[in-house]
Amino acid sequence: MSTAIRIAGITKTFRKRVALHPLELEVDHGELFGLLGHNGAGKSTTFGILLGQVHPDGGEAFIDGISVQTNRAQALAHVGAIFEAPAFYEYLSGWQNLKILTACTAIPRKPALEEVVELVGLASRIHDPVRTYSHGMRQRLGLAQALLPNPKVILLDEPTEGLDPEGIREMRLLIQRLRAERGLTVLLASHLLAEVEQLCDRVAILNQGRLVFCGPWKEPANLRVRLDVDDREAAARVLRGLGATLEEGSIASIPAGTDPANVVAALVAADVRVRAFEPVRRSLEDFYLEQIGQ
Amino acid sequence: MNLLALQIRGELLKLFARKRTYIGFGAFFAIELILLFLLRLDRVERSIRQAIERTGYAADEYLSGLTLALLILLWSVFLLGSLYLALISGDLVSKEVEDGTMRMLLCRPISRFRLLAIKAFSAFVYTVCLVLFIGVTALATGMIYGGAGGMFVFAPLEGIFALYDFGTGLSRYVLAMPLLAASLFTVSALGFCFSCLNMKPAAATILTLSVFFVDMIVKNIPYFESIREWFLTARMGAWIHVFEPRVPWESMVESYAWLFALDVTLLALGWLAFERRDLKS
Repeated sequence: MSTAIRIAGITKTFRKRVALHPLELEVDHGELFGLLGHNGAGKSTTFGILLGQVHPDGGEAFIDGISVQTNRAQALAHVGAIFEAPAFYEYLSGWQNLKILTACTAIPRKPALEEVVELVGLASRIHDPVRTYSHGMRQRLGLAQALLPNPKVILLDEPTEGLDPEGIREMRLLIQRLRAERGLTVLLASHLLAEVEQLCDRVAILNQGRLVFCGPWKEPANLRVRLDVDDREAAARVLRGLGATLEEGSIASIPAGTDPANVVAALVAADVRVRAFEPVRRSLEDFYLEQIGQ
Repeated sequence: MNLLALQIRGELLKLFARKRTYIGFGAFFAIELILLFLLRLDRVERSIRQAIERTGYAADEYLSGLTLALLILLWSVFLLGSLYLALISGDLVSKEVEDGTMRMLLCRPISRFRLLAIKAFSAFVYTVCLVLFIGVTALATGMIYGGAGGMFVFAPLEGIFALYDFGTGLSRYVLAMPLLAASLFTVSALGFCFSCLNMKPAAATILTLSVFFVDMIVKNIPYFESIREWFLTARMGAWIHVFEPRVPWESMVESYAWLFALDVTLLALGWLAFERRDLKS
């Protein structure tokens, strides 16, 4: 798979605050990539640099192999983006907003506009002034404008921020559908780790401007259980015999394919009293918190 | 329609779709009516009549719609027009940055230079529209109240005193419109320049007005008489000389070349500042 987005040694300092330490990142074509981090971790700065809105102190960002810093127009030719709170001309209709934004780079074609408006489910309200739109409708209008340059790469900065659970689900399904139908490369920054977990193939975690993790995130194949026993040492011995391990605290990691009932039976057979045997799911949130050291 | 025309149309739509444009234009019309009402007050009209009669001409012939229109234009457009244009131009870039719409626009591969060039051109069109609106409505209301007749021009600070028949007066009045628009565009360029800096829209407007009013006040201090031509408002006032019996074209061309150079410099400075800015939420 070739690289759709490449960030090569980007650094950025705002006044004396370092927003990004040298950052290296690659996103493949057709990938749904999650960018995670706390507020001020450098996610929005990364997005800004990718869109040529923020000038890096050093390094370069490439989209489809074209440098954003030296050839922004060509690099962004097939890039769409939306922000956490997409801003529009409130006194104009959604349709007029789309025409103005599209006309920045191409002559707006009515069928293309109608297609995306239909896709994001705004057809019935598109001619109303944006000031009458709900937050969810604004997000959808934001997505519509991001889709209008017929993008190959789409940058989504907190697209579900402020949406109700139904809106979040709708947005997630829409992103999945777009990726499946149009083969889009998606770079997604979100605080909603459960959403990222469901959507993304790989994630990068930023902590205070530093990349602390980049790679595929999957729930471990091993079964993890919270084990409460009277004799910890004996239990550890039994588990070792089954190829399992007892980690720090009371979490046991059991190899995939091992029947949990056999583990309990082996513990009981070794006179270990089992008070609790509870499967524990290791979520992206746990993983994220581990990575940022909390 | 080509892309550039579409972009300009979009920018003009942003300016003209706002209620404040019509409120502003309506306010100018209201001010014109108030001025007209004041000019028709007995005591005011009597002093204008006396000024005309002192020159040996018949007041009835020269206290006409054209004279009233010029008086309205003189008193309303320069100060209030500058104030209004400072408000609009101070918003042009900084308001979009503040609202976040600039970031939306710059998600597209449009260059900052092009974006600003379109905005500057739209500001120019807006300035021309405002001047034309005031000029035409002042003439219309003046003609309705004063009827056709000669034009009496009296601008003591500029040393202009002239009387024209209707045809000549009207042609001078029409000629004054583009010159006035060119003068007022300097206010728009100044507001645009401040608007490109990292500041709130209100700050850009206040700075623009401060420069304009301080320049006007300092220009009128007698000690600075010898360097008067270096003041912005002195150059901007060149348009009124089109009403002199012998139009001083040479000095007017010099003033407008000076203003043009200043406008280009202000726009370029604004662009340079904006080009270097980081746009973040």
